[in-house]
Amino acid sequence: MRERNFRHLVLMMLFLAGCSGEGNAPPAVGVAPAPSGAGSQGCTGSCASAQSFLSPPEVERILAQAAQEAQARNRPAVIAVVDRVGNVLAVYRMNGAPATMRIVSGRPVRGGLEELIVPSELAAIAKAITGAFLSSEGNAFSTRTAGQIVQEHFNPGESGQPGGPLFGVQFSQLPCSDVNTRFDGASVRPGPHRSPLGLSADPGGFPLYKGGTPVGGIGVAADGLYTLDPDVSDRDLDVDELIALAGTFGFAAPPERRAERITVEGKTLRFSDADFADLRSDPARVPALGATAGQILAVAGYAPAAIRAGTAFGTPASGIRPDRLDYPGLDAFVLVDGSDSERFRPRAAHDGAGALSENEVRTIMQRALALANRMRAQIRQPLGSQARVSIAIVDREGAILALARTRDAPVFGLDVSVQKARAAAFYSSAAAASVLASLPRTSYFRIALEPGRAVLSVSEEREPQALIPALRGFLARPQALSDGAIAFSARAIGNLARPFYPDGVRGASAGPFSRPFEQWSPFHVGTQLDLVYPAVALHLAHVLNQSGLAIFLGTTLIAPAPSSDNPVPLPDPPPGSCTATPRLANGHQIFPGAVPIYRGNTLIGAVGVSGDGIDQDDLVAFLAVHEAGQALGGGLGHAPRELRADQLAPQGVRLRYVQCPTTPFLDSSAQNVCEGL
Amino acid sequence: MKKRSILPLALLMLPTAWAAEPAWFAWPALLPAADIPPAQVPRRRPGRPPPSPPETAGEINLGAITPAPVDAVGEFVPVPDRWRLMEALGFQFPWYDPYNQNVLKADKPIREDWFLNLLGISDTIIEPRSLPTPVGPQGSARPGAYDPFSQPRQLILAQTLIAGLVYYKGNTTFKPPEWEYRITLAGQFNRVQTRELRTTRIDPRRGRNRSDAHLGVQELFVDKHLRDVSARYDFDSIRIGIQPFSSDFRGFLFQDNQFGVRLFGNRDNNKWQYNLAWFRRVEKEINSGLNDVGAGLRDDDVFIANLYRQDWPVLGFFSQATIAHNRNREDEFLFDDNGFLARPASLGGERPRRYQVTYLGLNGDGHIGRLNLTTSAYYAHGRSRPGSFVPFPTRIRAGFLAAEASLDFSWIRLRGSLAYATGDRNAYDDKSTGFDAIFENPIFAGADTSYWIRQNVPLVAGGGVTLSGRNGMLNSLRSSKELGQSNFDNPGLRLLGVGGDFDLAPEHRLSFNLNHLWFDHTATLEALRQQAPIPRSIGFDASLAWIWRPFMTQNVVFRLSAAGLFPGRGFKALFPDERHYSVLANLVLSY
Repeated sequence: MRERNFRHLVLMMLFLAGCSGEGNAPPAVGVAPAPSGAGSQGCTGSCASAQSFLSPPEVERILAQAAQEAQARNRPAVIAVVDRVGNVLAVYRMNGAPATMRIVSGRPVRGGLEELIVPSELAAIAKAITGAFLSSEGNAFSTRTAGQIVQEHFNPGESGQPGGPLFGVQFSQLPCSDVNTRFDGASVRPGPHRSPLGLSADPGGFPLYKGGTPVGGIGVAADGLYTLDPDVSDRDLDVDELIALAGTFGFAAPPERRAERITVEGKTLRFSDADFADLRSDPARVPALGATAGQILAVAGYAPAAIRAGTAFGTPASGIRPDRLDYPGLDAFVLVDGSDSERFRPRAAHDGAGALSENEVRTIMQRALALANRMRAQIRQPLGSQARVSIAIVDREGAILALARTRDAPVFGLDVSVQKARAAAFYSSAAAASVLASLPRTSYFRIALEPGRAVLSVSEEREPQALIPALRGFLARPQALSDGAIAFSARAIGNLARPFYPDGVRGASAGPFSRPFEQWSPFHVGTQLDLVYPAVALHLAHVLNQSGLAIFLGTTLIAPAPSSDNPVPLPDPPPGSCTATPRLANGHQIFPGAVPIYRGNTLIGAVGVSGDGIDQDDLVAFLAVHEAGQALGGGLGHAPRELRADQLAPQGVRLRYVQCPTTPFLDSSAQNVCEGL
Repeated sequence: MKKRSILPLALLMLPTAWAAEPAWFAWPALLPAADIPPAQVPRRRPGRPPPSPPETAGEINLGAITPAPVDAVGEFVPVPDRWRLMEALGFQFPWYDPYNQNVLKADKPIREDWFLNLLGISDTIIEPRSLPTPVGPQGSARPGAYDPFSQPRQLILAQTLIAGLVYYKGNTTFKPPEWEYRITLAGQFNRVQTRELRTTRIDPRRGRNRSDAHLGVQELFVDKHLRDVSARYDFDSIRIGIQPFSSDFRGFLFQDNQFGVRLFGNRDNNKWQYNLAWFRRVEKEINSGLNDVGAGLRDDDVFIANLYRQDWPVLGFFSQATIAHNRNREDEFLFDDNGFLARPASLGGERPRRYQVTYLGLNGDGHIGRLNLTTSAYYAHGRSRPGSFVPFPTRIRAGFLAAEASLDFSWIRLRGSLAYATGDRNAYDDKSTGFDAIFENPIFAGADTSYWIRQNVPLVAGGGVTLSGRNGMLNSLRSSKELGQSNFDNPGLRLLGVGGDFDLAPEHRLSFNLNHLWFDHTATLEALRQQAPIPRSIGFDASLAWIWRPFMTQNVVFRLSAAGLFPGRGFKALFPDERHYSVLANLVLSY
């Protein structure tokens, strides 16, 4: 009891020291101060420097703080720390920590990812990556934030409200992505890295900050469940979250950047239900990591058994650095590989007649970057910040023609912008039906872990091509997906991919891309998961296999345990293999922020945007195509109005094409800026 | 006289704004009239020199009937009671004629000292208006809707029928009734036509328009005259049930027909009056604003103690001091009949919330010399658990000031209005300094003829939260005035206005109002819109109203008003740069 009082005293003193006199909540406990050059508003995108990375001692301290709290609660944990671009800097398993996590939404749904057993370290890595990838100098989001914005209503439980603004984002950063990179077995590498399970909605993943800039994330798996919180109106004390929070001490997100200071549709987002006063340990006085029994783990495909330094965001080592070639004056950032070569410079498409030229691609990208730079951010503090986004342009076959970002955009938007663009290009294409018809059946598995082996059994089979008749019937367009006569924006696809149509209306039947609500959960959504599940499952089996387990399908041996002459019996799915078609190489996305590009009546590609509010993402994509078309003398532009999806009103409710935001620009009070385009 | 004084009371129960007009003579109707010796009030016309007294004083009564001879006294005709004198003298009136002695209008008892008064009112509203209207997020009404704001034009039609019955015992011409039973029912049919989906109901499949009907119990009480405390019939009385109540002269804090128990009375020849009241609020039906007894009582209590002093500090001026305490414990989710979240508001943290707040108020109404003046000041002090934006409790510290002064120049009354409600300075701190009332119905600055007071401008895309409520002027960011909880994290209000009433003829009154409105602090708006800076100015609100009483009575009143909102920089930062209008055509027929 005395110790507890003392701890409170310490926390109180820290609180007083950290209090700037501006209100008194939340206390700035455990937050490293912003650099003196950041100004009174804190960091606004330019604080990251070559020194903004986690050193091995810092990673060790973060692990030790989390482990101390886990020990104080007698809940041994697996703790992962990643850098801002997803390099796994360490995975620490405390003795006695649960080996696996069970994926459950709490909804009475079977199949999909529901009830799947996954190694705890993969869950911890996914949570750490989520904390790092969703955050920036302008916003600090956690896995709890993610959980709030991917459910069937926003806020969860508020019936009648449409689904979460990032509905579907959990199926991004997939281990099979061609945008996200992967661990090569040796050193930290340029990102953005893949996540074993996509983005996580399970509380227990936070961003880590130094000097006001994100340097990584921490993820904790201790409670045996990989889930999400269906009720954001209450306050939970989640074990994973408490342990992860302890880990962030000294590296905590600036209070004025946390999700709870950011509103979407007038509603504040959630960052953490726990705060430092809820801890049972004092992270300020932490013994060395060796004081808790446990070990640094190697995780196949992610990390060696060592603590490593992170990369400095914005330097070539991080894989994201300032542009020097294509977008002068636009403060753009581009992706590079390990030799500092750009991965996605603007290039011409080679997908047949009327293909996008390099100049057209560059022009669209420049317009999009310029629009983003003058656009009001929806998810950033301080108010009045520029929107920060990633922008992708793909051709009609899904090949990436350009990928770039504005300063300090959250990392997750790279993969997502490509997913969105690919979705718009694919479903607007006349080839969609034939490609879907060619895709193999998806088998969903259960996994049982037995000594020395993992046994898969098929729980459910889904035909991707079932979407074709479902969509045609729903839209009453018997040639849909094969006549190229509907221009689908990502928003329109999203309308059709919700468990209710119209979105959020309880009792309404599901859209054709979605499972019926009774069979739907964020872990079993319908077409979006059906298409990528085989690759995700293969990756999971690969990791289990690499951990020494033989893989059985029923009683049939698929892959023996690795041995010296067969080190990789079950290979990892290669980059870009998320679906069986390269058109959707990293899967597809079902929330707004992409429009197809047309030349006259002909589809020639799509532009996808991700990283700020979805209305902002829509505006950048929509206006960039319009402006580029004007700048290029009308050679390209939007789909003719009569082709756009908002001409269709299935079941009496019109699809939406795009929605531009209120008061979109920082330099004007113009409203309704997308009218008539 | 009796029925004239009762009618305004019946009108009070309507939440619609035309209740406004009657309301400002309703409050004294609750109380016996002032008693000012006529000699103290010199006869004069405002703005003119006092008339010179007649040169000769004396009886001039040509053709007067000579008094009856002394021996005629004693030749009495027995009549049942004094109310039937006229009958005894041979006057006969049809049973339905309310303008002469009528047993249904409490002119004559129905037995002994028991009187019955039947009331009937028809209220018709035609209200074209325009509002910034969000595009339906799940599906727009038309293709090509790529922006957040849709077509603003809407039309509201409402027909309300009110039937009331008062049954009381007493000799009310001379003293307060001893018992009073009252029931008033209001049935309303309403229809709203809009040009966008999800404006009237949350389900876009249900279209752009909405028709609805509701029967509300607006009064249901018994009133017991406890005792007389002086020879001048100063009294104590208790009233239990759904009853009208106004916390102040202009309905700034709490003016509603709510279930409660109220002890009230007066002293010292009506110089002092008091109320001690507890109300537990009845749920309201969202589309009519009428009481929804079937939905039960809210977990919301209002305790009020107030004291009125007549002719203080100066003759002709009423002063009042109030303590009101509002305890709200509605920490469960509630969706209204249209499917929108009513409690907690779809705003900020959207966490179930309790609050308790104590209001200290000083109010005044009357005239100082020729200057008519009404004043109101409230200080709100309390706690919200949690705050509207934050997960922790906040301290409520907010204030409100309003004053309206007018001068009469013969048939013209010119007035100036001023209101100030503090706004919250920081949405995310532990202080809530935005003022909100319990249930306002302000009769002020043009009341429901004003655009801002009449209309509920939706703030956040989706329309779940409005700036000021319908028939409310505080920018309290509630889901609705009727079902929502008070919210003290709001931008507040500043208002300056001028206006005038022109009594063109006994049948015609023309009024105008020009108000300029500002937010007090836009920090909460900036937080909700994730946008900064948002300037303070809401804009100019100009309105014109014509009241026509063809029979110079309150029995047939027609009102036509039109208001325009000319947006200021703050409004333009939130909404498209468009002018908005509010037209109100209103016919009230009373029996």
